[in-house]
Order: sequence, then C-alpha cells, then structure tokens
Amino acid sequence: MKIGGEDDVVLVRRMVREVAQARGFDPFATAAVTTAASELARNVWVHARGGSAVIEELADGNRMGLRLRFEDQGPGIANLDRARAGGNSTVHSLGLGLAGSRRLVESFDIQTKVGGGTTVTVTKWARF
Amino acid sequence: MRGSIPILKVASTLLVTLQTDLHDAMAEAFQQDLLSAIEREPVSGLLIDISGLYMVDSYVARILTETGKMARLMGTETVIVGMRPEVAATLVRMGYSFGAVRTALNVDEGLALLGVRVSQG
Amino acid sequence: MAVDYMEKLKLDEREVASRRAFFEITDEDLRRLASLRPLAERNSELFVERLYELIMGHQESRSFFPDEATLNRVKRLQRQYFLGLFDGRCDRAYVEERLRVGATHERVGLAPKFYIGAYGRYLRLLFDQMFQELSPAEAQAAFRSVSKMVMFDMALAIDTYIAANLDTVARHQAAIRELSTPVIRVYSRVLLLPLVGTVDSHRAHQIMETLLSRVVEEQARVVIVDIAGVAVVDTKVADHLLKTTEAVRLVGAATTVTGISAQVARTIVQLGVDISSMHTRARLGDGIELALAMVGKVVADKAG
Repeated sequence: MKIGGEDDVVLVRRMVREVAQARGFDPFATAAVTTAASELARNVWVHARGGSAVIEELADGNRMGLRLRFEDQGPGIANLDRARAGGNSTVHSLGLGLAGSRRLVESFDIQTKVGGGTTVTVTKWARF
Repeated sequence: MRGSIPILKVASTLLVTLQTDLHDAMAEAFQQDLLSAIEREPVSGLLIDISGLYMVDSYVARILTETGKMARLMGTETVIVGMRPEVAATLVRMGYSFGAVRTALNVDEGLALLGVRVSQG
Repeated sequence: MAVDYMEKLKLDEREVASRRAFFEITDEDLRRLASLRPLAERNSELFVERLYELIMGHQESRSFFPDEATLNRVKRLQRQYFLGLFDGRCDRAYVEERLRVGATHERVGLAPKFYIGAYGRYLRLLFDQMFQELSPAEAQAAFRSVSKMVMFDMALAIDTYIAANLDTVARHQAAIRELSTPVIRVYSRVLLLPLVGTVDSHRAHQIMETLLSRVVEEQARVVIVDIAGVAVVDTKVADHLLKTTEAVRLVGAATTVTGISAQVARTIVQLGVDISSMHTRARLGDGIELALAMVGKVVADKAG
C-alpha cells in the first residue's frame, strides 16, 4: 500500500484492521496491531513524506499472524536509541510512536540509515 | 472540514461524539471548532464521547489531552467517556499517559461528574 | 455448517480454481468422469457396502457407528458422496456440495486415518471394476481422472478437519482464560477479582483484558482487585497492577486493591513504586465497604 498522504494513514489503518479481524484476532489484538500500524504509517508520512506499507498474512501451525513492513526513503533516524526512548524533542513524536508500537507487537525490527531511509517490520500473532 | 463534527449543548455542557475514523485534519478541525465554541459561549463542562472510536493512537490521544488542557484554561472541565476496553488496554500498553484527563463510563455518568462540580462551584 | 467452512478456508472462486490447477484436473478429466457416471451408479451400492465392510470390520472405526440408524444414514450419504465424484464439475458449487455432505462425517468425528484409508478402498474397488468393464487404455485413463478427483476431495476433507480442530482448541483456550480470571459481581456495578497464584506478564495481559471487558459490559463503577492470594508481589506485579488500574480508569471506573499484607506494603514502598493513584485497603471487607460507598450504598451493623 502506498503512503503518499494523510488519508493513506487512515486507509492503512482500516486495511490492517480488516485483515486482523478476518484472521481471527480478538478485539484486543486487533486494536493493538491497528494502533501500531497507525503509528508507523504516520511516521512514514510525517517524517519521511511518503513510503509504503506491506501487509503479509502469516500462519504457523495453530496460530494466525500478521507481518507489517513500513518502508520509506526518508532522512533515516540518526540516534536510534535516543529516538526509541523518546529523548530528543525533535524526534519526540517519532520516538513515542516507535516505543509505543514496539510494546504492542510480538516482534519489532527496525533498519535505518541516515539519509538512506527506514524500514520497520512488526509481527503480531493472534492468541486463541 | 469545518463543522464536520457536530457539537451539541446540554445545559451548561458541550457534548461531542467522535465516530469511527478520525483523519488527522478532522481531529485538528475538531479541536479548533470546540475551542471557538467555548470562546463564543463559555460553558462549565465538555463531554467527549469516544465510544465510537475503535482505535486511539498517540496522535489522537494527544489531541484529546491537549483539548482538555486548553478547555480548562478557559474554565471548562473536560470528561472523556465511553472508551472501549481494547482502546484502554492499547493506550496503557503503549505507555501513553492520559494524565489528568477525567473519564467516565458513559454520557450519563459524565454529565453527573460535571454536574456535581457545577453545584459545588 | 458447510458455509462456515467455505469462508474459513477462503474457498472463493480464485482458491477453487487454484486448487483445481494444482491437482491438474483438466476439462478432459471432467468429461471422462461424467461419462463414467453410469458405471459408478451401477456399482455404487456394492462399493458402499464393501467400504463399510472395511469400517465395521475394524474395531476402532466400528465404534463410530453404534447403531443401525446412524450407519444407514451415513451409507446413504456416502453413496451420494461417491456419485458426486462423477458430477463432471470442479467449481465452487461442487466444493460447497462436498463440504455439505462431508459435514456429517465430521460430526461423527472420524479421524483422517480412517477416511484416507476408506478413500484407498474406493480407489481399489473402482480400479478393479473399471478394468473389468473397460478396455485397458480406457481404464487407465479413467483411473487417472478418478485419482485426481479423489485427491482433491481428500484435501478438502483434511482442511475441514483441521479447521474444526482449531475451533475446538480456540474454545478450550477461551474457557481456560475465563477460569483463570474469575470476575465476580458482588453488587450492582461493583466487580471483584480475587487473584490467586503467580502473575506473569502473559497472565497479567489476560487479566487486564478480561477485567476491562467486564467493566464495560456491566458498566461497573468500581473494581476490587484482591491480591491476598498472589504468591509474589514484586516490581513487575506492582507495575501490572498500576497499568490495569490506569486502564480501568480510562474506561471510566475506579479500582481498589485489597489484601495488602504488611510484607507487600513494605515491598511496594521500598521498591519506590508510586501507587498514589490507587485506592488500597488491607482487608477485602474494607475494600468492599469502600466500593459500596463509592456507588452510594452504606454498610451498617444491625442494631441490638
């Protein structure tokens, strides 16, 4: 999914929610993954002025899951640890979004290079 | 975008209901409209019904808490009502603090909360 | 019931077409199968009898058909099922039919080893018969087509079986969750949650979710969480309590934590955990009194 504007953040949010519900996620897991998606999609728009989101359906034996990948070609995150802790005020909202989302999902991976873009991949599993 | 979220007046309280999907621009316009309304006609209470929101991320949460603070500066107490269980759980897990914003189960309770304050004032 | 599985297994037109392609079922196969229908009809009763000979002759599988009525009903359905192989179609409507007929077997609870074994017998019976009635070349071609169709059906049966199993697991898991978080309604709009045992983060999540759901469902104004039965109260547990209290507050209700022993009080203060936002009481009784007061009721001793 392309993230080229504010409206796309809402579209990503809606899509993730639909897929999560279809996958049998309970309301809590759905809210968690939808919120994380909203945070990360917003980061892509607000801090990198555009990028993409990929939603992948996973299955592992009994469990159903979702993997979301948010990619942008933005400025990258200079001080990842500070950003994650929400320390620097200019990246405060970014850090808040990242730190917050991280706690909502089972696995969280971030690859970033200054001037070279950022990719955040998160995975959420449904509990039965 | 202006006036897209209706603001109702009940006694000396403003009542606003937020529905399903909040675009960022809508959220900001909503905050503007609300503050203008209070400026035009000061009220003692503001009730924000979020029972229709299936998701509240840090941005929306910020708008809500900011609105509460701004309203208080103008003499209006804010109560947020109807937060869904999964929304509350998500906010708390994210570590987002709603600070001093007051909450109630539903509109009736919210009005009671505000009503009590008025009679004591 | 079949319709549920059409959705669960995502059996839309695209998926059915994809399966058909993977099982290499061509239009020629379908034509051939349709042309074999007379042969199938002639032999269907015999085949079904032979099939159930196998099933009833085997102790474990026999137990699934305890009475005559069940057995006869299943035999009738089985005949219908068998003839369905020679419908000459392989589309969504066909799949829906298969699932509908297959649902009965599923309800009977037959495990995969049995119906796969049964399919095996079908194929052998068919093979023998086709070689008797048709030329070797025709029989071979017929057998190839029938095999493809049987495999296609088997995949559907197994997928349905797995889906049904997952449903059971999900129900059991939900039941276990309910049991480990027993929320009690002690009074109108007052809930009590007695926590017993260890509270790890997994359980803490469950507790918060169950509690929040109940609070909103019943519009409870006060929640009493009694921790007298919690084995260890360390920073993590205190943190979970705080988070849960805050979440309950966001939803519009108040929390009172009771059952705080001297030891726990000492631990919490020494750990420096800030619990100023929580109402607390040492004893459950006091917590209940506080809760009732909060909803406007007063507990008084009877005079005399």
